[in-house]
Amino acid sequence: MIRIEDLVFAYPHGPFRLSIPDVTIEDGEKVAFIGPSGSGKTTLLHLLAGIEVPGSGTVTTAGCEVSSMSDAERRDFRVQHVGLVFQVFELLSYLDMLDNILLPYRINSSLALTPEVVDRAKALAERVGMADKLGRYVDRLSQGERQRVAICRALLPQPRVLMADEPTGNLDPANKDRVLEMLVQQADEAGATLVTVTHEHDVLGRFDRTIDFATFHETVGAAP
Amino acid sequence: MKNAFYMASRYMRRHKGKTAILIASIAMIVFLPLGLQTVVDQTTSELEARARSTPLLVGRKGSPLELALSSLYFAAKPVEPLAMADVDRIRDTGFALPIPLHVRYRAREQPIVGTSLEYFDFRALRVADGRQMATLGECVVGASAAEALEVGPGDAVTSSPTDVFNLAGAYPLKMRVVGVLARSHSPDDDAVFVDMKTAWVIEGIGHGHDDVSKPEMAGQLLKRDGNKITASAQVREYQEITAKQAESFHFHGDPATFPVTAVLAVPNDAKSQALLRGRYLGKDERDQIIEPVAVMDELVTTVVKVRSYVTAAVVLLGISTLLMMTLVFALSIRLRRREMETMTKIGCSRGTIASLLGCEIGVVLAAGVAIAIGLTTAAHAWGPALLREVLL
Amino acid sequence: MRALALVTLFAMGGVVVGCGGEDPGATSRTRDPNAPLEVLVVNYPLQYFAERIGAEHVRVAFPAPPDRDPAFWSPEPEAIAGFQQADVILLNGAGYAKWAERATLPRSRLVVTTAAVKDDYIQIEGGITHSHGPGAEHSHEGTAFTTWLDPKIAIVQADAVRSALARAQPSKRAAFAANFDMLKQDLLAIDGDLERITTPHGKTCLVGSHPVYQYFARRYGLNLKSVHWEPDKAPDDTQWKELEELLRTHAAKLMIWEGTPNPATVEALKKRGIGSVPFDPCGNVPSEGDYLSVMRFNVTALEDALSN
Repeated sequence: MIRIEDLVFAYPHGPFRLSIPDVTIEDGEKVAFIGPSGSGKTTLLHLLAGIEVPGSGTVTTAGCEVSSMSDAERRDFRVQHVGLVFQVFELLSYLDMLDNILLPYRINSSLALTPEVVDRAKALAERVGMADKLGRYVDRLSQGERQRVAICRALLPQPRVLMADEPTGNLDPANKDRVLEMLVQQADEAGATLVTVTHEHDVLGRFDRTIDFATFHETVGAAP
Repeated sequence: MKNAFYMASRYMRRHKGKTAILIASIAMIVFLPLGLQTVVDQTTSELEARARSTPLLVGRKGSPLELALSSLYFAAKPVEPLAMADVDRIRDTGFALPIPLHVRYRAREQPIVGTSLEYFDFRALRVADGRQMATLGECVVGASAAEALEVGPGDAVTSSPTDVFNLAGAYPLKMRVVGVLARSHSPDDDAVFVDMKTAWVIEGIGHGHDDVSKPEMAGQLLKRDGNKITASAQVREYQEITAKQAESFHFHGDPATFPVTAVLAVPNDAKSQALLRGRYLGKDERDQIIEPVAVMDELVTTVVKVRSYVTAAVVLLGISTLLMMTLVFALSIRLRRREMETMTKIGCSRGTIASLLGCEIGVVLAAGVAIAIGLTTAAHAWGPALLREVLL
Repeated sequence: MRALALVTLFAMGGVVVGCGGEDPGATSRTRDPNAPLEVLVVNYPLQYFAERIGAEHVRVAFPAPPDRDPAFWSPEPEAIAGFQQADVILLNGAGYAKWAERATLPRSRLVVTTAAVKDDYIQIEGGITHSHGPGAEHSHEGTAFTTWLDPKIAIVQADAVRSALARAQPSKRAAFAANFDMLKQDLLAIDGDLERITTPHGKTCLVGSHPVYQYFARRYGLNLKSVHWEPDKAPDDTQWKELEELLRTHAAKLMIWEGTPNPATVEALKKRGIGSVPFDPCGNVPSEGDYLSVMRFNVTALEDALSN
């Protein structure tokens, strides 16, 4: 379960201010946050993932109160329980596809890279139809393929929550559908909660619920 | 740490060119001063050791340095020769054992050194393969010369026909290799040693040819006036001294006038050394007697001075290179900021990121230093020979 | 500047790879100062002199085989390599044992025993002067080399042996000098005897069986010419002709032989009024006796022959 209570967040410099009184997302739910650019969608994901901590209020993700954890605890929590998918994929150009999928296991010692994990990575690649491209450097992959790799990377640690930040923002319509489809399907198969932020209304049909940033209208300050 | 190394190695593999340049730069800035130091130190100590082990040299008046370079290191530049009588002059003083040297000819790149047997005892040279030269036309070669000329006992070495002093051309003599000397790590390794007499044969003072007084040679005689025979230049001079022809080899003129490029004088003791040096102080003296160690000291001082300037320059260069490399790393880290942000978001600590970058720098530094050490080791083995070649 | 050149060389990254550094094997010539001197000689007279003078302090090697004339014998290069370690190498000089002139021998331990009298060498007539190519005119003339048959020269040679041994082993200088003095007395005695018996015969024409008596003849003012006969072989027609040619201008009454002559030849000579007497130059080791006894025998034989 994800729960936000009386959240207030501001960056140390600048006028941006985010304030969310109460949001609850059940386990396994697929939720899309929608709102215009600069409304704080990405910041909300960062707060849920424990990348940022609120000025006040509490954030509970997957049953853990991330807002009260230490830096190290939040990092470990994140790498173990949260799968992140970014708008521009953020793959490492000097690693091949397999190594990109395995990245979480290489950069945090709370995850142990075992042959079983590697097999799982290969199985994921298989599931997204890219088993034949494991050895390729990612800059040799198409945009759609790259996002599929990014999804595999997010799913590999078997997270309880999958968070996607504008995951289709850089894709053409055909790929957009496929990636979204895949995201939803993989979250289903993994039994993970899916939290997506987007400004594209046409994709909302695939989610169980849409939370519009407009509902925080009176409390959300605009970024400069 | 294993993962950090893995990531670093993947990064370096993806950026091979950049990594190679960085490693090469490190290798060079470490190797240059280190290698230079090693080579110069080793060479100067070798030069000095050789000079120290050679108490006195006697030669015609001229450049003492050239006399030393010719006699100790068999430098290609020939010196004006003395006569055999000058060797006896030293012997007759009773102060020193004179060892004649004749350094004038080459067999390809290897110096042909005419000398007497005493040289081998004096330099403690041992025949490792074959035997000592025993007769005219035989030679023993140094270990490196044997490699360079690709010869061993039973093979032949031919002297090169050119000589700066003798435009008519020296005698290209085919000599039998009868022994290869054990390696001595000195210029002796490069030399082809022959008896003085063989050197004179190359010089054309001694030669062998068909007997012109025989009736079948009549066609080649220009003039016969009683016992005086003038033969044409077609009389075949032997290019090789075989056992059969050995009897026909003979020398013209007084052996006391035969050339010697230098005499290595081994004094009986310090007093004899002083007394012998005194003999060469006369105002009309045609010869010079030098203490190689003093002459070489001068050269070594110059080399060491140049080395210290060069080392200073190289160190400055090294510092600026290091600064540039710091800049390169800094720029590279800037370029990779997004990558690091992503890793942070996924769950990577600053420490881990630092160790990833540290691994890269560490590997580059370690590889650079390792290459530098390898180069220095190579320079240690080969540098002095190279330096000698340049110096002499 | 060369140093700069080398620096540039290294700055350009003159990279060489190799290996080196094995232990420098080296042995120097060292000898036990009390061990007997190893002396190498080229003929028997020098062997005898060295043994007389050096006594127990020398070990003399005379490598020429007994059936060869050591003057013309030449060792194999392999054998020469073995001679190089000798402490003293005694040469006769005057063109005797020419191999030594072509051999690589340690100059500092090499002694030409007739060096002091080299201006008195006797030139062999009939040497041919010639020139060819760009070289100067030269001749292949030879010198007579049986120097020791002049006992005065023999003494010079023995003295050279003494000084060579003394230089090689200074601690035995006195012993060598004493031994030399005794040898000198013996040689002087022979010289005295020879002088006494030859003096009345200054005008007598003599013929040598071989040209080896030049120094001997000069010493005693003998009128001696030589043919080229071998003692153990009957002379052929050419050799007889050679003698008859000689006798036309040189009415010899006595032939001096290097060895015991063939009785038939002796008989044939006797018919021509020429006596025969052996006078062994003793260049090689005698079958019996030693140098001195052979010389004394020579003296007696010559005395007998001349008095007849």
